[in-house]
Amino acid sequence: MQCFIRTLMAAASLALLASCASTGENTDQTELDATTQPGVTAQPGQEAYSYAYGQAPGGYDSYDTSGSSAGAGQAGRPGQGAGGSVVSADRIVYFDFDQADIRPESQTIIESNARYLAGNPRIITQLEGHTDDRGSREYNIALGERRANAVRQVMSAMGVPSQQIRVVSYGEERPAASGPDEQSYALNRRVEIVY
Amino acid sequence: MNPTLRLLWLLILLLASSLAHAQLTIDITKGIEGKGIPIAIAPFGGGAPEDIAGIIAANLQRTGKIAPQPPQTQADYSVTGQASPGGSRGYIVQFQLNDAQGGQLLNLSFDVPANQLRPVAHRISDLIYEKLTGEKGLAGTRIAFVTGGGGSWYLAVADVDGQNPQVILRSGQPIMSPAWSPDGSKLAYVSFEGRRPQIIVQDVYSGARRVVSAAPGINGAPSWSPDGQRLAFTLSKDGNPEIYALGLGAQSPVRLTSNGAIDTEPVWLPDGSIVFTSDRGGSPQLYRIGAGGGAAQRLTFEGDYNARPAVSPDGRYIAMMHRRGGRFHIAVLDLQNRQFRVLTPGGTDESPSFAPNGKMIIYSNGQRLAAVSVDGAVRQDVVLRGVARDPAWAPYGR
Repeated sequence: MQCFIRTLMAAASLALLASCASTGENTDQTELDATTQPGVTAQPGQEAYSYAYGQAPGGYDSYDTSGSSAGAGQAGRPGQGAGGSVVSADRIVYFDFDQADIRPESQTIIESNARYLAGNPRIITQLEGHTDDRGSREYNIALGERRANAVRQVMSAMGVPSQQIRVVSYGEERPAASGPDEQSYALNRRVEIVY
Repeated sequence: MNPTLRLLWLLILLLASSLAHAQLTIDITKGIEGKGIPIAIAPFGGGAPEDIAGIIAANLQRTGKIAPQPPQTQADYSVTGQASPGGSRGYIVQFQLNDAQGGQLLNLSFDVPANQLRPVAHRISDLIYEKLTGEKGLAGTRIAFVTGGGGSWYLAVADVDGQNPQVILRSGQPIMSPAWSPDGSKLAYVSFEGRRPQIIVQDVYSGARRVVSAAPGINGAPSWSPDGQRLAFTLSKDGNPEIYALGLGAQSPVRLTSNGAIDTEPVWLPDGSIVFTSDRGGSPQLYRIGAGGGAAQRLTFEGDYNARPAVSPDGRYIAMMHRRGGRFHIAVLDLQNRQFRVLTPGGTDESPSFAPNGKMIIYSNGQRLAAVSVDGAVRQDVVLRGVARDPAWAPYGR
């Protein structure tokens, strides 16, 4: 079904962007679950469009390349994940610099979410790991996953089945705050419990 | 010529070229003062809609090895030329390079359409550079980079002077780690479309895409083998990040590392061995394994964080991001003599990528792109509109 919708969207976008040589294609490998995940923001049709070199409609200057993230200038506003997702403060777990250890004060947040998930086995949660923007981008992807896995382990120990938990790391790519200061760094080193 | 006048003249040239293309700024932050080969460049007459001489002067200035001078200056070499309407395609561009004794080193002409005037200026720049230095030039090369953020991400390809940026992918989710195939026809990258990471290979000139890996967990840091037949990347499907290699015709990737720590950012050396980042020793450092995996040899011991390796085309140098005193620098390790050199003053420098001639390294300082020579002598900023990160210098080729 989802594939059909994607194809439909791709066709629609082809019609819209008649001048572009090619649109993105989604050829998911079959080993992946193609099921919709309740609680996780559904893919709103096609999210990515590819263009042949020199064929993008409008050209580079017509795109917003200001690079301002949703969190820009909003340091100190927790829970405002850049790029659309809004997670309330009781679903965010913060971490120390270059660490993936769960702080004692975060235990309560994880446990209350775990209790809810264990009692609602049809809800699937996505644990989204994030880092501050210091260091290598790809290494930070790995560090963000390590943090999300640390939260997953606490949840598993409390009886949340593994098939109810998905982990994705965004590394430093989706900052919650964009300032080059310790306050922003601290807000960005986090795992968001999304469901 | 007195240095102040020379600087003024250069500024005028740069201003003229930036007026025509307003989003460009080139900031020469460090050059080889007084050491460049002096070359007098006269404006090209003939009324073409591009300032060919200005483009050539800016290109040569950016190399750090050639010092463009105003016309009629007493210089070791001189360039004169014309770009006039005519020929079968629109314009005839003709130029000569002479030495101070009047000897002619180059005398060529090109028959091009109007939209090829800039590429021809780059070609002429490279011909002059190669004649005078014996090295291959970079003026005609391109860079891929990622821009945007916050809700709209873009993968773009621009000329190396920052001009002519072209979006080849736009997405509502992050895009990371573009890597050119050795023939310059494809880019591998990480895309989070669908809110999960996938490794995708896109044909730059058709826009066609193929998902190479979408395993559960991390799909990251793609890198092409020197023959373009395989990709190395990072997967965490078996529990934690490990290095894998996949033949482009093959179905399932082969795992090359087996360690409880983070292993990521693989890049290939010409002999097929792989350099990657691992924190198996406590902090991120660079290691090397054979083509088929096996025991890892640690390569870096300086500072407290070395990551994101890049390999020079000849395989002699490994560039990396390097932390010491809390600041990230671009550094380079010479594999021949094990010499380690810090190239940038540091701050938030990241993501180095070698020029195809092996002489320069482009990198991101967290906001903008900059380039530094492998010997550290020349450094410059390339400012595109908006932020730019994750630069990948395209190989020679198309």
